[in-house]
Order: sequence, then structure tokens, then C-alpha cells
Amino acid sequence: MNLEREERFVSEIKELLGDKISEIKVQRARSVFVTVKAEDYKDSIRKIVEKFGITHISTMTGADSGQTIDVMPHLSHAGMKITFKAAVPKTAAEIDTLTDMLPGAVMYEREVHDLLGVNFKGHPNLAKLVISDDWPSDVYPLRKEYKVVRPEPIRKT
Amino acid sequence: MPEFSVIVGPQHPALKEPESFTFWVDGEDVVRAEVRIGYAHRGIEKAAESRTYIQNIPLIERICGICNVAHTICYTQNVEYLYGREIPRRAEYIRTIIEELNRIHSHLLWIGIAGHEIGFDTLLMYVWRDREVVMDLIEEMTGNRVSTALMTVGGVTRDITPELATRIRKGLDILEERTKYYEKIASGESTILARTKGIGILTREEALKHCAVGPTLRASGIKSDIRADDPYAAHDEVPFDVITTDTCDLFGRVVVRVYETIEAIRQVRYCLDNLPSGPVRIRLPNTPPRGESVSRVEAPRGEDIHYVRSDGTDRPARYKVRAPTLGNLASLVEMLTSKGDYRVRVADIPIVLAGIDPCMCCMDRTSRFIEPSKGKEWVWTWNQLRKYGRMRER
Amino acid sequence: MGLVSWARASSPWLVHFNTAGCNACDIEVVAALTPRFDLERFGALLKGSPRHADVLVVTGTVTRQTRDRIIRIWEQMPEPKFAVAVGNCCVSGGVFRGCYNSYPGLDSVIPVAAYIYGCPPKPENVIHGVATLVSKIRGG
Repeated sequence: MNLEREERFVSEIKELLGDKISEIKVQRARSVFVTVKAEDYKDSIRKIVEKFGITHISTMTGADSGQTIDVMPHLSHAGMKITFKAAVPKTAAEIDTLTDMLPGAVMYEREVHDLLGVNFKGHPNLAKLVISDDWPSDVYPLRKEYKVVRPEPIRKT
Repeated sequence: MPEFSVIVGPQHPALKEPESFTFWVDGEDVVRAEVRIGYAHRGIEKAAESRTYIQNIPLIERICGICNVAHTICYTQNVEYLYGREIPRRAEYIRTIIEELNRIHSHLLWIGIAGHEIGFDTLLMYVWRDREVVMDLIEEMTGNRVSTALMTVGGVTRDITPELATRIRKGLDILEERTKYYEKIASGESTILARTKGIGILTREEALKHCAVGPTLRASGIKSDIRADDPYAAHDEVPFDVITTDTCDLFGRVVVRVYETIEAIRQVRYCLDNLPSGPVRIRLPNTPPRGESVSRVEAPRGEDIHYVRSDGTDRPARYKVRAPTLGNLASLVEMLTSKGDYRVRVADIPIVLAGIDPCMCCMDRTSRFIEPSKGKEWVWTWNQLRKYGRMRER
Repeated sequence: MGLVSWARASSPWLVHFNTAGCNACDIEVVAALTPRFDLERFGALLKGSPRHADVLVVTGTVTRQTRDRIIRIWEQMPEPKFAVAVGNCCVSGGVFRGCYNSYPGLDSVIPVAAYIYGCPPKPENVIHGVATLVSKIRGG
């Protein structure tokens, strides 16, 4: 499999971000993963977005990794999927918003906030998006410690 | 200026109604819109973590009944990427065939529903009658009309015999003839033109800014299609055209979908004519290696993206799905906001919403209207809104 | 009682509500109205308001967010009224049984008179289910 284009892309990212990168790899054709520290998250993404003129964010995944939560925006550029990853501690789960440079992120950050409790600093409106109105506000279903509780039937069958 | 009366819909005054849309209006114009979803939030991502990779296939398939094929292809190829194994070429072609048949069914469904939204019920009946041709083909190929379970991790579960291929070709001929007829109607029928031209405008810049996907994006002149940009299954070999229009309005979205249906028919024919021989499946171990993977497909509604993380067990550590309609939500709010010369009328709300081909079951929900200048607030169900829309056209 | 005698005996008015389904059952219910299957030839009419309906046809998994609406719609229907659960999700929770936002079937929220299985049930099954229910009720 010819991964020249991806390797070239990785070198350009390395040039731009230098030692801010904790890890970078070509996952497979048209898929690149870049790991950065939470404090360099917004700045690194801004550099990449400005350099390549990226406008499209496909979605943002949040994943519980034990003590930390991984915040992973998936950007798209010329058919290539660029996944950034930054870890925030569960006890202080907050990170900068991307909505000022990628307005499309507004719904995705709300979703990660609903389901994993990550606070996005500077987000215009972190109101509930997917979780129901009667859901307790400090329970985050996608955190590993949450054990699934089925809703109680209203009537006996 | 028309008189709005406060309609108390099917709600108890004491209970808070879970509206999904709130519109601020000034007379006939919508000046601001807000969306609240979450009705169809079922807890799939959490459930996926407690089921095995194979058990998750029916779960992922039922994220959306209409584009179930797109979700299953995205899921199975995502897991196959974890293994780092290629599936047989014949399986890729069969996946492409069922995917494009699914696209045909979904777009025809949409054309009928869009007709229903503008009061053109005859179109609904005609199109859905013709859609039965493709439903029969899907049932012959897979055993079920909807939710086909054809995909598995490692390939597909059923093969296509030459006799089945002949029947599919016959069905495609009928579909092509009917779709060309709908193409004439869509581009020439005055009811449709009156209700779709200049309605639901999403400029090129707005589409890029709000990260629109699918036909909504392509109707704003942007040539972006996952099948061409980031090919999967057999799309690297099967030739097709990416359909775009420059109109940036609802009419453009109708045109894009009709032509995409014709392209889909051509792609299925190509796949049948060039079906490689060989097995349709490889057996993979229950447990993929540790790792993570991102996979995308072009569902009928747009870009569908999945993320998987494996921790070395037979269950995913994390499975994330972003279905295409969520990607168009921000653009929808933009389309429903009047600005400058572009005025959005209350009567156009149902058809603009239908224009992004929403795959959330928000069609039956209620919407709340707020008219600050008159100090009024009221709630309408979608049926009431749709009736209002049809009445306003006379 | 055959379908034709049933048709002579009654004309059920339906209201259809999708709680939080994947839409597969919905499109099969709507397909039941289209020319190939044509529910309307049995006198069954799809009405917009619950106040005009005899039969409530429900599809989809009942979630927390839609529970109150389905109860409200049920309460607005005049007696005699019957709810039909279409699809496995409505019958028992289906593939979403055990999820944190989904109730284990429609009958955990409102009383159900008929259960139509399938994932999704074919339009013929939907028609058969509704027709059997109505013929039973009206004197079969």
C-alpha cells in the first residue's frame, strides 16, 4: 500500500508542531492520528487548520481511558482523516472549545459534554443536546463507572 | 400581517412539553431557531461496550432503519481495519451493490416524503409504489426488506447467483425508467418549483462553515463525496459522477438526490457486470488486536463516521457513531434563520426540514413559536405546521 | 372472521406515533398505506389527531424523552381505544433492551392490545395485525 501522501502530510505536521506532538502515526491510507497535550490542544489544531485551510470537522469523540478522558476531534481535509487526541484528567475535565475556528464543532462538543462531562471553555451554549431533560446533571453515562440502569416501567405488565 | 392565534396543542398546561424546535417569529418570518434533540437517544454507544463485535452488528444496523446498510458497512470495515486484514474483492463489490440499492430506496423514499410535505400526495403514492421494486430486490438479495444483516466482520454473509443478478438487472431497468420520469417532474412541475426554488438557502460559505454533509452540501456547489474522496468498498474502481448543483436551495437538493439515484443504478449495473470471483468472506478471530480506527462512508444523508477502540478483548472499549443528520443540524438552524433579503416563512419550515432528509424521528414532535413583538407564544404539532404550510400556498 | 367481513363491519381510524425508533417500522407502516399494500381499502384511515382515532399505532423504542408524549397522546384518545405495538422495540425493547435510555417495551408505559413482531414487520404483517385486532374487538 502506497502511503507516500500520508507520510508527506505527517512530515508537514511535524514541521509545524515540532515537539508539541506526543505521538503521531499513519494509521492506514488516509488516516492519521496526532496526540498532543491538553494545554497545546487548541494551539496545535489552530496551526494545522490555518496551514491547510481546513473547514470540516467530522465529529468529536470522547473516550474514558481510566483516569483520563480522551478528547478526539476528527478533522477532514482532501479525503484525509486527521484525528487529534488530548487527554484531560477526569477530576478536572475541561479543555478549550474549537467553535471559534471550527463552528461546526458546536453540536459535537455539546454531545461530549452531555455524555462524558467534559467542559469546553468558551463554548457559546453547552445546553443539553442528546440526554433527556430528566437525566441527573452529574451522571455521565459514557464514563466507565456508570453502570447501566434501565428506566423503571411505569406500569406492571 | 396575518393574525396568529395561540393554539394550545395536545399538552397539559401543567406539564413541560419537550419541544424539539423553538422558533422566534416576527409576523410570517422566522428570525431565530433553536433545536433540541435527544428523543431518539437510546444509549447505543454504551450498549456497544457490553456486547461482542458480532453482537453489535444488529445493534449498529438499527441506528437508522433507512440507511442501515451505510452504518453496517462503516462498522464492519472499521473492525476489519483493527485486524489490518483485507476482505475478498467479491465481498467489497457485493457491499457496494447493496449500498447503492439502499441509496436508491432512501432517495426514492425521500422524494415521496418531500412530496407529502408540500401537499403533493400523488407523488408520494407514485414514488413509493415504484420504490417497492428496489425493496423486492433487497429482499431477494438478503432475506429482509429493511435491516438486511448482509454484512459481517470479514465480508458478507450471502452471495449473488447469476440468476439473482439477472433479476436485479431487470429491476434496475424499471427503476431507471421511473426515475427519469421523476427527474422530469422534479425539474418541471410547477408545484414543486414554487415550493422549492429559493427556499432553504444555504450559501457555499455557510455550508462549509457549518460543516454540512451529503446532498445538503452538494446542493451548495461543493464537490465533496466520501465515495470519491476517501474511497471504501469497491468505490475506488466503480466509476460514478459526484452530483452537485449551484442553486444552494431546496430545489438543488431535490435535483442532487434524483441524479444520485440514477448514478446509483449505473453503479449497481457496473458492479454486476464486473463482479470478481472468489469467496465472499474470511474468518477472523473473535478478538481484534489492541488499537483504534476511524471509518467513514457516504450514507444517503451524508458522511457517516465511526470510531472504534479495542482493548484486546472481544468487546469494544469505545464505539462512537456520528450519523449524518447531526452533521446537518447546524446548517439547518442557519437555513431557518431570516437574514437580510432572505426571509424564511413559517409555512416553509416543514419542507426546509425535510430538505436535509433528517433521520431523526423529529417529524412528529412539536415546535414552540415565540413572537416577542406581540408577546405571544404557542405550540404546534408537526401536522398542524404542515397543514399551515399547505394552506399558505393557495 | 375473514378480512372482507371485517372490512364490512368496521373502519378503524389510526393515529401513528413514532417514539424513538430507527424508522424501519415507520417506513413499513407508511408503506402499508401506499398502493401496493393499501391499508385504506380496509377502511383504515390515518388521522392526524389522537382525538379522532380508535387505534394508536406505535413504533420505536420508548425513551425517557418520549415517554411523557406517548402517555399524553394515549390519554387524549376517546374510549374505546386500543394501542398496537409495532416492531420488536415496541414489544419488548428489541435490540435496545437493557440500554439506559430505553424502556423495555411499550406495555411498560401504556396498556397494549396487540403486538406485531418483526424487525421491522413487513407491511402485510402490519395490516394483518391491525385487521385481526379490529375484527376481534368488533365482534369476532
